[in-house]
Amino acid sequence: MRPHRGFAVLAVAASLAATAACTATGSSGTGDVTLSLWSWRPEDTAAYRQIFAAFEKSHPGIKVDFKAYKSTEYNTVLSTGLTQSGGPDVMQLRAYGGLQPLIEAGELVALDGKVAGLSNFETTSLEGARGKKDSKVYGVPLEMSTFQIYYNKDLFSRYGVQPPVTWEQMLTGARTLLDNNVTPFATAGKDTWLLPLYDDTFAATRYGGPAFEKKVLAGQATFTDPDFVAALDVLNQLKPYFPKDMMGLGETEAQTLFATGKAAMIPEGSFALGPLQAINPELELGVFNAPPAPGAVVTKPLQVGWVDASYGLNAKSGHQKEALELLQWMTTTEFGQLVADTLKQVSLVKGVQPGDPLLGQMVQAYRSNPTPYLMLVNFRYGTPLGSDLQAAGLQKMLLGQQNPTQVAGDIQAGVSQWFKPQ
Amino acid sequence: MRWRIAVWFVLPAFLLYTLFTVYPLLSALANSFWRWQGTARGEFAGADNFTSLFTTFPLNQQLWPALWHTMAFFAGTMLVQNTVGLLIAVLLVELPVARRLLRTVYTVPYLIGGLVVGYLWSLLLSPVFGPVNASLRAVGLDSLARAWLGDPATALPVVILVNAWQYLGFPILLFGAALAGLAPEYTEAAKVDGANARQRFLRVTLPLLLPAIGVVSILTFIGSMNTFELVYSLEGAQGNQPTGPGGATDVLGLIFYRVAFQEGGSNAIGQSSALAVLLFAATFAVAVVANWLIRRREITLT
Repeated sequence: MRPHRGFAVLAVAASLAATAACTATGSSGTGDVTLSLWSWRPEDTAAYRQIFAAFEKSHPGIKVDFKAYKSTEYNTVLSTGLTQSGGPDVMQLRAYGGLQPLIEAGELVALDGKVAGLSNFETTSLEGARGKKDSKVYGVPLEMSTFQIYYNKDLFSRYGVQPPVTWEQMLTGARTLLDNNVTPFATAGKDTWLLPLYDDTFAATRYGGPAFEKKVLAGQATFTDPDFVAALDVLNQLKPYFPKDMMGLGETEAQTLFATGKAAMIPEGSFALGPLQAINPELELGVFNAPPAPGAVVTKPLQVGWVDASYGLNAKSGHQKEALELLQWMTTTEFGQLVADTLKQVSLVKGVQPGDPLLGQMVQAYRSNPTPYLMLVNFRYGTPLGSDLQAAGLQKMLLGQQNPTQVAGDIQAGVSQWFKPQ
Repeated sequence: MRWRIAVWFVLPAFLLYTLFTVYPLLSALANSFWRWQGTARGEFAGADNFTSLFTTFPLNQQLWPALWHTMAFFAGTMLVQNTVGLLIAVLLVELPVARRLLRTVYTVPYLIGGLVVGYLWSLLLSPVFGPVNASLRAVGLDSLARAWLGDPATALPVVILVNAWQYLGFPILLFGAALAGLAPEYTEAAKVDGANARQRFLRVTLPLLLPAIGVVSILTFIGSMNTFELVYSLEGAQGNQPTGPGGATDVLGLIFYRVAFQEGGSNAIGQSSALAVLLFAATFAVAVVANWLIRRREITLT
């Protein structure tokens, strides 16, 4: 009968492992409620400790247990955590399409009417946390990102280049820089996710920005629309001003080129401000948005921006009341200011001042002339993702393997498999 | 009863093998015939998961180039390993000093993980900051300096060379052992018959090494079909897009990774299991046939 004992040991070991996995979280025994909170930003752990210390001070009896997972593994960890017991009470949620599977599976609590502070946000800020089907809000917006062109003030003044007001000025400036052996734009083609953002940054004016977005969503235009094709081609026209080895460069290498003064401009996100200053603290930075491209539909510069993350509530959480209290606190200017000062991100709470004047300039531009990160905001609700199709296509276009019409055709062919205009 | 003792010796390996190899294989096979909603199993899908691999855009357009790149990866790696590897192994046998040291040195990269090797080479090959281009420019070969991993023409060959570089130690060890196992009488007899060094190698040593070459080739084939981490760390995986400049280094292992973990489709388990089953079947079939061919060859030799 000996082999049977072997099986028994194995079975016990297996069940032990299973229970260990299920008891990852729980409340402490002191009578306090401990809310477990998950995030995909391990780099923010210290900042969050500080932020939740402020919350615990004003909310005695509630403790927050912050736990961060690697960003690339977070989606898997979270979806597993939410379907089984032992998931978090409150968790950071991806925006727009990335959020929908959780909503459709009924894992999240709709916050309308439960978190009064949602009125502290503008309607567009809430779009990122809205269910596509039921239009309910499932998260308290945490922060937003913008994308624009940074420039090196020292290099600009050394070569007499001004932040451009017209497209022609931008190209003239770029040619001057090129003549002086300075790469005009530090762009990265290896990290292809940047390519659709480059297109929005340089050419949203060409396809029409928010107006085109409305038309596509309503089914009045497709990605094969001549304006959208021409907007893709704008990057082709800028190719001489990008690094020759662009397709071999990753984002960090492009950032290093710019921060070390080998390139004078870089299209980058608000989230790159910290990294750029970390590479070179001496860097004198300015930002601008690309002037309207030739043939532009919109005749003023547009600011690309999108909501990045929000905090939501697990439907299975045993501490609904306390979790809602925490979420309510996340709608206050106190929390918003902490996000701006401690996390150094752009808070979406009305009335919060960004920590850095450059961030302030970006938010200001977004409030007056916003344009969406088109593919992220609208075309990640099904597979293949619009952003993947556009990124792969733009890379082929810049390598000379496809023309803009083919790229647009592929985007349309892929997206139309799941996208239904409303 | 002797077989009782034998059972105790077989049991641990049998249990581990069943638990960690046979069971996952069979469960992948089973999973591939069902529709999945995340981690919940839906209705029976028949062959749908298999056919959808070849009909869903853009997956259907990515599979064939990836198969082609995987084959090129195998052919290129094998070419380098069976020539350079054999050459070094022969030279090492003839070398009077430092033989053991060199054998160890050649094997070191093989002991480092593919992710680490890929990362190191991506730093070396960085077009702007990498020492490879810097040294080319230093000796006046500016025209040769390029974005090695960002140029569709060079990306795949470079990935293949890095892979061959990493695994070169393995054929050297294997060929070294095979050479050491050859009875010296054969070459001595050939020598007596008046065969020169070239003839002795081509007519005597090489045919006797065929089994070793066959083993190296089969293992290279299996490794190539499953190759993933080196390409991943050299070229990066960008969401659900083909890897490399214009998709130049996309391989089957990466497609599996994307379907399973990146694409985010709710039927990821079903579709990725189907792809895994196809990959396994192809690899297994080729390995069995090749092994049979080598065995047959071995028999005619003896």
